[in-house]
Amino acid sequence: MKYFRVLAMAVAFCLAIFLSNTFICHAYEDTQCFKCHTSAKKLIEITREIAKTRPALKSAETAGEG
Amino acid sequence: MEPLAPHEKIFVDSDIVDDENHGEIACHECHGGNPDDPNWKTAHKGVVKDPTYPDATAACGDCHDEINENYQKSLHVSLRPYKLIIDKRASSNTVIRNKIGCAMNTHCSECHASCGQCHISRPNSVEGGFLDGHLFQKKPPMQEVCTACHGSRIQKEYLGEHEGLLPSIHKKKYMKCDKCHTGEEMHGNGKEYADRYDVENGPKCVDCHKEIYKREAKNVITHRIHKEKASCHVCHSQPYNNCSACHVGKDKQGLAFFKTKSSWVDFKIGLNPLKSEKRPEKFVTLRHVPADKRTFDFYVKDALSNFDTLPTWKLATPHNIRLKTTQNASCNACHGNESLFLLEKDVEDNEKGANKNVIVPVNLIPKKQKWQPK
Repeated sequence: MKYFRVLAMAVAFCLAIFLSNTFICHAYEDTQCFKCHTSAKKLIEITREIAKTRPALKSAETAGEG
Repeated sequence: MEPLAPHEKIFVDSDIVDDENHGEIACHECHGGNPDDPNWKTAHKGVVKDPTYPDATAACGDCHDEINENYQKSLHVSLRPYKLIIDKRASSNTVIRNKIGCAMNTHCSECHASCGQCHISRPNSVEGGFLDGHLFQKKPPMQEVCTACHGSRIQKEYLGEHEGLLPSIHKKKYMKCDKCHTGEEMHGNGKEYADRYDVENGPKCVDCHKEIYKREAKNVITHRIHKEKASCHVCHSQPYNNCSACHVGKDKQGLAFFKTKSSWVDFKIGLNPLKSEKRPEKFVTLRHVPADKRTFDFYVKDALSNFDTLPTWKLATPHNIRLKTTQNASCNACHGNESLFLLEKDVEDNEKGANKNVIVPVNLIPKKQKWQPK
């Protein structure tokens, strides 16, 4: 009986750790930021959309070594 | 350096969740924005691209408190020597100084490091982009971070990219920048330095080459004779890059640009402009920097009216060290060899005043030797 109680406590402890980690990972991975920024396909679509509207950022007149 | 494709710059490696130190920090905790909004345009409202600059306290300070405390005084972040140099050369007129400040904000302030721009992404000056899917890099990769900025001089010298010149012997030994330039040096120690050569924990050749002055060391006589006469680089550097006349301005679209007049590979020994207890050598290698009286002409004329207060040939520590070089092949490869020394004839007329303290008078060039060490 004593051993059973210790074993049950150990299992409960491991389960708690496992579930808490799982919960953290899910909370992290479920954000829109993560979903989009880990998808190359979505990023390609969005960056192409941005490129159509964004003007050049660098001057073509830059010349020489910095 | 070829920039990354736009989507590559912001692609996050999902392995980041396995990072035991950073993996549990949600994106919006550092970058802001709305993590629940599925519309990327509105989700990015208020997003901070680099939450580690100018103040890294909120993003990094909780865990990296000591580094964060010193961070803003690190020369890579503060750029203090640049500001001090321009200040010294600048006119004392307040209106002119304000215009210089405006020009520097447009052209110079972009070239700084930050925690993020060394450990997460490439520097902004090379158009940024994650180094490895936003995975945190304890040691910044040499070619994507260090030489991304320090390219025209350090990279070309260290990797032997100048035609006819060899890479540094340290490159051949597979040494990366961090072997000499430690994290402590990069992060700063809380002191505000006026020059990078003042940094106390900066690298010194003798940190590794401890034995060179010991009796049993090879070439001990040569090393002892030259100890306070010539810096290590005078004997062990190959020719290195020099450039001139950087001018800044804005094009018709209002975009900032810079132009340098020329760059060339050369080797010049001059008088040490930073002689001190730490750097007692009489002769050092000098590099022409792209400083010019008219750098800020686009913004304001006569901005650098005190130009002659500092030399345009500056103390240099070229990163292309070799054991054997042309000038150390024999005593007389250097002694009496005028072409190695910065003489008055090598300096442009309008820069003679600025360089009067580093030009070597002909009578100070070491005389040819009759005696040669065995």
